[in-house]
Amino acid sequence: MITVVFSVFLLTLLVITALGVVRAQNLFTAVMLTGIFSLLMAANFFVLDAADVALTEAAVGAGISTVLLLGALGLTPREERASGAKRWLALVVTALTTVVLLYATFEQPRLGDPQAPVHQHVAPWYLEKTPELVDIPNVVTAVLGSYRGYDTLGEVIVVLTAGIGVLFLLGLPGAVGDRPRDDIAKGRTYLSHHLVPQVVGRLVIPFILLFALYVQFHGEYGPGGGFQAGAIFAAAMILYALIEGEREALTVISPKLLIWMMAGGALLYGSVGLVTMALGGNFLDYNVLHSNPVAGQQWGIIVIELGVGITVAGVLLAIYHAFAARGH
Amino acid sequence: MYLAAALAILITMVLALIRALSGPSVYDRVLAVNLFGTKTVLLLSVVSFLYGRTDFLDLALAYALINFIGVLAVLQFFESRERSNTDEAQGQ
Repeated sequence: MITVVFSVFLLTLLVITALGVVRAQNLFTAVMLTGIFSLLMAANFFVLDAADVALTEAAVGAGISTVLLLGALGLTPREERASGAKRWLALVVTALTTVVLLYATFEQPRLGDPQAPVHQHVAPWYLEKTPELVDIPNVVTAVLGSYRGYDTLGEVIVVLTAGIGVLFLLGLPGAVGDRPRDDIAKGRTYLSHHLVPQVVGRLVIPFILLFALYVQFHGEYGPGGGFQAGAIFAAAMILYALIEGEREALTVISPKLLIWMMAGGALLYGSVGLVTMALGGNFLDYNVLHSNPVAGQQWGIIVIELGVGITVAGVLLAIYHAFAARGH
Repeated sequence: MYLAAALAILITMVLALIRALSGPSVYDRVLAVNLFGTKTVLLLSVVSFLYGRTDFLDLALAYALINFIGVLAVLQFFESRERSNTDEAQGQ
């Protein structure tokens, strides 16, 4: 009951925020409201007990998406351009889609209905068999890394493709030469004369990195895993770039290393599949990795989660640097 | 008690949202977003105690750690805008 009340309340706020984003003419206002949208979304996931999804939304939405949107805003005018095109067609299409979607919701089972198809199909099997087959407390990680390992590999490839797309359009500074170009090398940090952000940032960065490692390796026991850890790691490095300048950040993780991280993580994931095939199992069937199948599953999940984390961190950082270098 | 706290936080979130939507200046909105982030951290903490799922506190911790990065990015954004053209700092 409380869950429903919370959810309805948060969803109402979500709709109001979404309307605010659409109505905002000033793009900066829209970016700020998008931040609120993300926070509400995460709170809603959390209330619905989906802690892993909420942590992903938190890791990406709290810091990185605002930073990336502001980077994009640096390349565009501040006000939305008034569209001269006829809008009634768009209005009709949107209204029709809304009606169809509303109609579709009548077919949906009620929230928490034990007879819902989602609770009848594979979910009970996952819950029942995970202690025996994988033996980790967080079933979400088992589903993500093992039972549906192909999907997760596909998702990592999607992230990698997104990164490649952005780099093709904007280019990564200094990726071709050995060191960053001179124009970024001027140390363009606008925060260098603000003492408080600098001191606080320097204090907090090690803890964020530690927390990223915790989320990475604690994913079997609590909410977390590669996607979240990669995003938190990238957030720490973006914070470093904000307070120390992009040049410093690019010396810590060079553009070449970033590209290796992007590809290397996905490669690590895929090669686990090849190793299992070489050992006589199916692609991404971790049972063969160890003489004890349960230990094999756990090893497999740890390694592929590491691959996911490396790729996500690499892609997010590369996109950030691409935007930041262009923004100047 | 947790319920009362959660409701109070939700009301504060509504107030912050009203400020973010109505503005009028850009800095009001920045402050509102920052406040909203803090309230989200509090809401997640209270709700995790309300549900008895204290292992979910990790989430609130993640927010508390990286929430201010966005605000720093906003600060940097305005500083760079101010230097490139001085008359744009005042929004709408």
